[in-house]
Amino acid sequence: MADFSTSSHCHHWILQRQTLVDKLRASNQRAQEALKKYGATRVEVQADGSLAYPENAEVEAAARKGPTPEHLTVQEEVMIRKFYEGKIQQVCTAFLFPNKIQATAILYFKRFYLNWSVMEHDPKHIMLTCIYISCKVEEFHVSAEELGKGIQQDPQVVLKNELTVLQGLEFELIVYAPYRSLDGYAFDLENAVQGMGAVAVKNVQELREQAVFEVDIMMLTDVPLLFPPGQIAMAALRKANRENRKVDLERYMQGLLGRTGAKHTMSELESAMDAIEIAMNESVHVEEEGVRRIDRKLKICRNPQLQDETKKRERKGKQKQKKPQDAAPPTYPKPADSAINHGIEESDNFTTPQVHMLRWEGMLSLLMSVKEIGAKTVLAIQY
Amino acid sequence: MVDPGNQRQRTRPAWLNQYELVGKIGEGTYGLVYLARSKLPHHRGVRIAIKKFKQSKEGDGVSPTAIREIMLLRECVHENIVKLVDVHINYGDMSLYLAFDYAEHDLYEIIRHHREKLSSPINQYTVKSLLWQILNGLNYLHSNWIIHRDLKPSNILVMGEGEEQGVVKIGDFGLARVHQAPLKPLCDNGVVVTIWYRAPELLLGAKHYTSAVDMWAVGCIFAELLTLKPLFQGIEDKNGPNPFQADQLEKIFKTLGHPTPDRWPTLLNLPFWQANRNFIQGKKYENPGLYSIVQQPAKSPAFDLLSKMLEYDPAKRISAAQALDHHYFRTEPLPGRNALVPGSPGEKAVGYPNRPVDYSTDFDGSTAPPQSNSNLAPLQQQQMQRNEHMMQVPQMHQQLHMQGMQRIPQNSNMGNYGVGNQQGRRKEPDSGNQNYSGYQLPNKSRRM
Repeated sequence: MADFSTSSHCHHWILQRQTLVDKLRASNQRAQEALKKYGATRVEVQADGSLAYPENAEVEAAARKGPTPEHLTVQEEVMIRKFYEGKIQQVCTAFLFPNKIQATAILYFKRFYLNWSVMEHDPKHIMLTCIYISCKVEEFHVSAEELGKGIQQDPQVVLKNELTVLQGLEFELIVYAPYRSLDGYAFDLENAVQGMGAVAVKNVQELREQAVFEVDIMMLTDVPLLFPPGQIAMAALRKANRENRKVDLERYMQGLLGRTGAKHTMSELESAMDAIEIAMNESVHVEEEGVRRIDRKLKICRNPQLQDETKKRERKGKQKQKKPQDAAPPTYPKPADSAINHGIEESDNFTTPQVHMLRWEGMLSLLMSVKEIGAKTVLAIQY
Repeated sequence: MVDPGNQRQRTRPAWLNQYELVGKIGEGTYGLVYLARSKLPHHRGVRIAIKKFKQSKEGDGVSPTAIREIMLLRECVHENIVKLVDVHINYGDMSLYLAFDYAEHDLYEIIRHHREKLSSPINQYTVKSLLWQILNGLNYLHSNWIIHRDLKPSNILVMGEGEEQGVVKIGDFGLARVHQAPLKPLCDNGVVVTIWYRAPELLLGAKHYTSAVDMWAVGCIFAELLTLKPLFQGIEDKNGPNPFQADQLEKIFKTLGHPTPDRWPTLLNLPFWQANRNFIQGKKYENPGLYSIVQQPAKSPAFDLLSKMLEYDPAKRISAAQALDHHYFRTEPLPGRNALVPGSPGEKAVGYPNRPVDYSTDFDGSTAPPQSNSNLAPLQQQQMQRNEHMMQVPQMHQQLHMQGMQRIPQNSNMGNYGVGNQQGRRKEPDSGNQNYSGYQLPNKSRRM
């Protein structure tokens, strides 16, 4: 669809900040109440579409073994979500997916968790399903089996939540990615500087690359839920251009507003871009150690019985450390130990791109042959 | 004793209570289509067509067809595009149900009624109004970068009695695609468009195609509205994944004459043009006979528009926007919103038959009770449920029945004849009609 102004993205999925805050608080609250009532937060959808919470027996068993698990705060949920959004970027990069797929998957993930808490639906699984659906929607079909193989997961994990996620997205699946708007601006800018020599063209290309990097960062914040993609792309260009000032962006924007007969004034556009940068800077910093702690908390409040097992494992771990053969150099993890299987605890293996690229070797060779055809670039100014 | 009714109730999704099932109106490879009435307070009694998509067989979740239809129709709002009212999920069998505004007619049935029952052409006003509305809907799609890719008479729905009577709705978006920025070439989707309405560039193996493929299909539909017969009835070659459709091309060449690189420069680049040089380029059809087939004077506006739609070169083929501007639509009779009213004041309106409904099918598609034990209770209960639905039927027919006859399709899937006959419905033999409904689902010749 070419017309952003009539899209579901424009009408339903760009929120006022207060609405966003309220929604996130409401789902966090609901999960907290479930924890009090049922002793655990996880939710499953049943055959008739109703939601199933943990059975009483299980809850009582958990209660006998220990105190009610602690719930995640709204802020902790933000951290967890941001962590998994970063994972979506990693997975999509490793599969060499075009960045449109990545952006769509991240937006699906964000939209899904507007109405659900990570305590209710496991973000590790939801993230994979979001990538899977994004591939289907963008007509870049990858089977659940291929996707599962590439990340060493049972394809059923990917498939299990497909309908739940589609429903959570209210079946509104067309997403406008800022990357595309960025391509439109870059294309337009290149045309504009065509007469000014090769250096000018090269400057635009470099600026675009830098701006893609800025968009990558913005994708991990609230920005895509608060601003239209055209503004996000322009803010990324402006930010990328600030240091070297290789392109006269202000003049370009003036011209663009004039040419397109946009309803917005230059100062409105400027203040929107300022707001985007503020939101970008305010976004929480995700560091490994903090997320690992929250993730453990998350697992236990989803499934309190794990509390015991964790303790056991900790005890075992201590004993193990004393054994001499454990000093052996680390080896690549076996498939069953992959980071995604166990969440964040073993995720050290996931942080260096080389290591995880290695794991996907088979997948990569398969995808290398798939070429993206030169898409007709259309200038998309989406306010 | 366990009450099977209750048990059944529990595995049934709650949203089913929004609807009162009337019966089955279509069937295809990925599912079934039902007719139902809304029970929601503000829509009470409104008829809804519900298309059920089964899980794809390959163990790959929701079928791409369902995803396309949902994603596009969720965004499309246009008078001449079928309206997706709601989407429901049955977590029991992981299937999706798409609820559309119900359209009583489609061009397949309208054309057939004229050909087989009335033996008289469709009046000029109706043809022009139908065509204008098809183009209007298509122009909306094309300007939103959507190619339908499967236009054919059974996918062109026409609303029955009510506020929107005689309004065209383009339906079945299972093959439609956004082509603004494809991540993969469009040809990766396999062959599209039912062969009779397939554009020559597709038949010749074009890798990249445009919205012009839809315009070719509209041309074929236009001719069919005029003559009541499919324009190019080729025999489909079903060997292999993308076989060369020699017969279909020959039918086209016979009518329109041979395409030449002069008129269609990119013809030389098309794979099948090169590969089948002997066959295609061997025969020569010199005398194009389109105007005699459609029985229109060669200089009439109708013929002029038709020949512009059936232009070989897709780059030169008329676009939907241009077609809407054609002088055919500015000459009398002018097109109107209700295509089904009489052409001139003295004329009598044609009463088209209602869509045939199979009353024996349940929402889950079963025609027999789900329990395998020979307990009579569930059967009786089902029969009672069905009779409840049937109570609605005579009422509906009074409302909608103008003069046409009610029909039951010749369909081997029809079970439970007893129930149907009890209602005193006449059965009318109906030969060779497999394509009995505009809600029919795609046939096997399409590959995804």
